Amino acid sequence: MDQNNSLPPYAQGLASPQGAMTPGIPIFSPMMPYGTGLTPQPVQSTNSLSILEEQQRQQQQQAAAQQSTSQQATQGTSGQTPQLFHSQTLTTAPLPGTTPLYPSPMTPMTPITPATPASESSGIVPQLQNIVSTVNLGCKLDLKTIALRARNAEYNPKRFAAVIMRIREPRTTALIFSSGKMVCTGAKSEEQSRLAARKYARVVQKLGFPAKFLDFKIQNMVGSCDVKFPIRLEGLVLTHQQFSSYEPELFPGLIYRMIKPRIVLLIFVSGKVVLTGAKVRAEIYEAFENIYPILKGFRKTT
Amino acid sequence: LAEVAYSQSTGQREQLSRCLQRGIRRVQDLCKVLQLPTVFEETAVSYFQRAVQHPSFRLVSLEKKELLGGCCVFVTCRQHNWPLTMGTICSLLYAKQELFASVYLSLQKELELSVPALSLADLVKTHLSSFRLFQPVADIPAPFLEDKEKMVARTMQVVELASETWLVTGRHPVPIITAAAFLSWQSLQPPARLSCPLARFCKLAGIDLPPPAHLRLKELLEILLSMASRLSWLRVFNLDKKTVVKHIGDLLQHRIFLLKNAFCLEGEEEQCGKGSPGEGSPGQGSPGEGIPGQGSPAAQGRPSGGKRCHEGSPRPLLPPCLIKPRKRLRTAAPSASDSAITGDEPISDSEIEQYLRGPEEVRAFRRAKDWP
Repeated sequence: MDQNNSLPPYAQGLASPQGAMTPGIPIFSPMMPYGTGLTPQPVQSTNSLSILEEQQRQQQQQAAAQQSTSQQATQGTSGQTPQLFHSQTLTTAPLPGTTPLYPSPMTPMTPITPATPASESSGIVPQLQNIVSTVNLGCKLDLKTIALRARNAEYNPKRFAAVIMRIREPRTTALIFSSGKMVCTGAKSEEQSRLAARKYARVVQKLGFPAKFLDFKIQNMVGSCDVKFPIRLEGLVLTHQQFSSYEPELFPGLIYRMIKPRIVLLIFVSGKVVLTGAKVRAEIYEAFENIYPILKGFRKTT
Repeated sequence: LAEVAYSQSTGQREQLSRCLQRGIRRVQDLCKVLQLPTVFEETAVSYFQRAVQHPSFRLVSLEKKELLGGCCVFVTCRQHNWPLTMGTICSLLYAKQELFASVYLSLQKELELSVPALSLADLVKTHLSSFRLFQPVADIPAPFLEDKEKMVARTMQVVELASETWLVTGRHPVPIITAAAFLSWQSLQPPARLSCPLARFCKLAGIDLPPPAHLRLKELLEILLSMASRLSWLRVFNLDKKTVVKHIGDLLQHRIFLLKNAFCLEGEEEQCGKGSPGEGSPGQGSPGEGIPGQGSPAAQGRPSGGKRCHEGSPRPLLPPCLIKPRKRLRTAAPSASDSAITGDEPISDSEIEQYLRGPEEVRAFRRAKDWP
């Protein structure tokens, strides 16, 4: 079952809707290539696009090797050009069709500000904890049949009008509705969420429904991190009143509604921060880099 | 000719819907019950009118609309630093606190209201006013009666101390005030009152005992004991949670000095016995302190040379949740194999089939569930 989006697999679930690129996002974490869901690693091994092209390159190399030596000259050159392109891709990991000038897969068209030096950035990278995505299986479903024939399904129509299905790897939960729409939650990265959604769709296929995989979209991303020092929430709500809501009668954390990017942060006295509301992981990183200097301002208090 | 009210003759009221009229009247009644200044009433009513006409509130349930009025009064009070708690408003409205909370948060967001934090000092005064310990009453023994001014003053100081030592941030304010009031009350006449437990105190005073108050009391006593260990003339006594109460007056008087000496400020954590969680070996002396011999810093253990942190293990001044961290629930960062997932991996049939029931299983399940 293949996705029928026009976006290449690499950019799926990562890019905001077409045309909604947020301009001027600085690359504040040079070690963390966007949208690959990875801890710092050399760029070559992380890009799904580059893996596909790597496979193509290997196939071509094998094809080239099998050719007789008489055609070596032409083969060599035809084998050369793709290689050049691939190696370039491998080091800079751009979207296809864009000139790979900067290592910025997320916003290839926008001017890139130079990476901020490590001393200015916080050095802390929020960890993704949950991704919520949706996909349209494109056909009506009989939930009773699914609940009957799948082991990992739960269905209580009186309580909730959807089948709750779970798989072990990636460890996720899906809500499958009779309209054919599905919600997938619990993944720790965009790629895992898509892989999980594809597995659910396969289960539904094997149960006899003509399931497709339409309009896969990441709806929400949740991240968390720890600044490692306690925070005076009462002070923060005083200086940032327009963005903050701190009601200890209701909830021990401060709710900070950041405007740019549009992210909600839950800030706790222990220094732990939860960030949510992102459609792409860059928003989480940007929101944290915005809040970190503000939080540091509340560090030295008696 | 009878007098006609302006609102009637000009048809002012007819222009408003009945729901709006009723809501406005409820807001006005609330303000009267709470004895709020008249300017509050005008502000609250204007918020209410704005809110009810806002698209997100126009169609909410009647139950929520009823709470909306209370939320507007609540917001008005907070903006004027009038210490009204949500608990009070909820009990006046007979509202479920969760529902009130959700209406309040939506109101704050949709109308973009900035609501200042609750003023703890004012809340102390208001809360203590409801204590029945200041006038002679039949069931209260004479030694339990207390002077209101003295008690308010001391409770304020204890609450301030709690605030400085991270006991207030993120916590519900009322239990802290209850615990602080209890300690202040005990300390003003220890011989007669030390034997009275917190529950009895609350009953006599005619106030509810909020469940977290016991924990707050415990935390306050810990802080006071740490401070007492730094006061030279108290160190001779082996103070415990009961006896330290007798000296709260002294401790409060010298609290600035004592706080500095009893607790390590955050930057000096390395000097203290307990470093912050996750830190490496504690016991690094700061430069300039005469730590004899450079040995291995780890072996130094609790610093013997740090000028502040000697004798006993002064703990870092941190919120209680950081001093006693609960067991880590979150797993570590994603493993390398997790990170390599691209989302495009081929999915094997066998993997999917493990989730499907075989035909006999389906039959058995059908029988068990009694489905057709």
